[in-house]
Amino acid sequence: MNALTASLARGIRRLSLRKVYIVMMILVPLGCTWFLLDLMNEGLPLPVPAAVVDMDRSSLSRQVTRNLRANQFVEVADESLTYHQALAKVRNGEIFGFFYIPDRFQQKALSGQEPTLSFYSNMSIFVPGTMSYKGFKTVAVTTKGGLVLTTMTAAGVGASEAAEMLQPVVINSQAISNPWLNYSIYLVNSFGPGALALMVLMVTVFSICTEIKHSTSPQWLATARGSIVIALFGKLAPQTVIFSIVGIAMQALCFGFYHFPLNNHPFHMIMAVVLMVMACQAFALAVVELLPNLRLALSVCSLVGILSFSVAGFSFPVQQMYGGIGIFSYILPLRYYFLIYIDQALNGIPIYYSRIYYIALIIFLFVPFIGLRRLRRHLLNPVYVP
Amino acid sequence: MKKIFAAIARWITGMSKVWRREFSLVFKDPGVLLFFFGLPVLYPIVYTLIYNPEVVKEMAVVAVDKSATSESRAFLRKLDSTESIHIIGHAADLAEARRAMNEHECFGIIEVPADFSRRLGRSEQAVATFYSDMSLLLRYRQFSVALTDVQLATGAEIAQQSIDNAGLPGQMVGSLASPIKTDSVFIGDPTQGFASFIMPGLLVLIIQQSMVLGVTMLAGGHQERRRRNHGFDPLWVDASPSAIALGKTLCYMVIYLPILIYTLHIVPWMFKLPHVGSMWQAMLFMVPMLLASSMFAQMVSVFVTEREASMLVVVFTSIVFLFLSGLTWPRYAMNPLWTAVGDLVPATWGVEGFVHINSDNATLAEEARPYHALWILAGAYFIFACFIQGWRNRSHRLAAAKASE
Repeated sequence: MNALTASLARGIRRLSLRKVYIVMMILVPLGCTWFLLDLMNEGLPLPVPAAVVDMDRSSLSRQVTRNLRANQFVEVADESLTYHQALAKVRNGEIFGFFYIPDRFQQKALSGQEPTLSFYSNMSIFVPGTMSYKGFKTVAVTTKGGLVLTTMTAAGVGASEAAEMLQPVVINSQAISNPWLNYSIYLVNSFGPGALALMVLMVTVFSICTEIKHSTSPQWLATARGSIVIALFGKLAPQTVIFSIVGIAMQALCFGFYHFPLNNHPFHMIMAVVLMVMACQAFALAVVELLPNLRLALSVCSLVGILSFSVAGFSFPVQQMYGGIGIFSYILPLRYYFLIYIDQALNGIPIYYSRIYYIALIIFLFVPFIGLRRLRRHLLNPVYVP
Repeated sequence: MKKIFAAIARWITGMSKVWRREFSLVFKDPGVLLFFFGLPVLYPIVYTLIYNPEVVKEMAVVAVDKSATSESRAFLRKLDSTESIHIIGHAADLAEARRAMNEHECFGIIEVPADFSRRLGRSEQAVATFYSDMSLLLRYRQFSVALTDVQLATGAEIAQQSIDNAGLPGQMVGSLASPIKTDSVFIGDPTQGFASFIMPGLLVLIIQQSMVLGVTMLAGGHQERRRRNHGFDPLWVDASPSAIALGKTLCYMVIYLPILIYTLHIVPWMFKLPHVGSMWQAMLFMVPMLLASSMFAQMVSVFVTEREASMLVVVFTSIVFLFLSGLTWPRYAMNPLWTAVGDLVPATWGVEGFVHINSDNATLAEEARPYHALWILAGAYFIFACFIQGWRNRSHRLAAAKASE
């Protein structure tokens, strides 16, 4: 058996010897993706539990309450509350906002004394807070418009004309490629690959450094006849294959079974995930070359893997971060995968516009070559530092 | 009677011994120290720095002004002057604007149709179209808030004019334009900032995860020592299972008290995050949270047989726990399965209670549900932890007996 096949055989054998590899490489990434898909199956967390505090109890206030009940964003659970009761319910999380109709609302509205409709949204939980705000705002604006319309038609202006007078400019908002504003599409496509990237980083470090920890690294190098490149290829190539298959399976789950937008040829995304897996392996390898210590290298890779979720700009845009923080997003393979996903799958624009991101992922593959000699030295004289 | 007192005394001595031994194990282990101290000290700072710009401002937008009239220009100026929108340039047609978007130069396109001012002049409804990039929902949200504001403001302005033109009686006009006022109040995170929203919850999650990482690493170390010594750990303290579980917990509680004050009080104060609730109520609330986390960690440590494996087992769960806590996807919208799984994680309740106390100024009494849930979890996991320690004790005594033969 030549060095290459022997190394490959050893790499595969070592993967099959420990259960932790199967769990980390297959179950965790696929499990996380399924978990996120199933969790957010609804797309939008609607309707938001809310309440209305009606201090007026007039026909107009009941009309407003009916409008709230008909609103798709909120579900009015209770309407016989006082202000303080409603606020207490917000504080213990039963509702996420409430609509307040003041005393003598109808009387004041009809006599031109401009009463105030208030709505309270709890923004400490962002998504339901925003949704309840949206629902309340719609109802407040339509109530206002309805009142004006009534008075204008009473004054002799035609109904359709009055409507045009009231809302002379409309801005029609088009949400490109995600018109449902589906949260699942947006979160699963970023956090699923994030979980995969995290696992690639950790498994790569673990599989190399565990050889140092248990002093089996000289034997590993000997299998490759002393060639560090063959040794690493034998160890990492089987992992590349498994992780790539898992990554493609995750994409199949999202784009195939859940019909998430995939507006380009699937091969563009398959290429991206395979490159991302390899780039993450290269990243982890570079970390190992710098810190050939199982605990420290794993700590660094967990840190990078976990911070990737935030720094790669999944929820908060990189352009808005402090320059000193945003710059870190450019050393994360995950960031490029995410950008490719937006261009290729979500927006479906020509691959030409994403060329730089693919190239960036390829550049990662060359980084570990710098420290190969150093790693080889450490593999030949394994020292375990706890 | 004497026997009972002797048993109690033995139990207390055993627990104290475990407590002391655990202390020395923690402070001699740089890995555990990093998890117990380094992680909760540094992570909150790093995270807050990432999210600290709070709101998304001045997002690049390209305008396609087919009307090219003073009205359309005024309309675009109004959009440009909002906090969220920055019009970086004009394009001749949609295709050109789309190219700019493909080149990642802008995140939105506003198209003003050719008949925009003509329709306004005829008092017909004029429709402009905004195309938003959907890569981040936060951007879309900011865009839509700005667009609604501009739509209402322009509408009110023009409506005023056309009502005047329609010749309606003068005194009616004022009340017509605004028969009622609306007022929106934001509770908890009044600036609607991103860091202000996510950090309080994240802080609780960081505390739980750092403890679980440290405790499982200690457990991994114990297993390694046993493997090296034929199943016998020289640093093991022989005590009753409940004394071991509680002794360890006491050690972790003492370590986490200063960390708690730092993470939950000093960090929000340093970064001016929402921090309106009583700190003492929050600390009281966190007592069962720490207990439950410690017991949970001791239970999870059965999966860890090697020091470093703690990271493999624990790190990815942070993502799962984050989603289960309802911070990103609210719990009322979860299906029963995931609600139930979330109920089993201390951080789920910790996040819920702490966010309400810290940001919404809730009292401990108002957070009775999560508070009780945490005590129940602490009790249940304590029983599990005792079983695990009992099982370890048995196998350990067996190994010790074999070694002495």
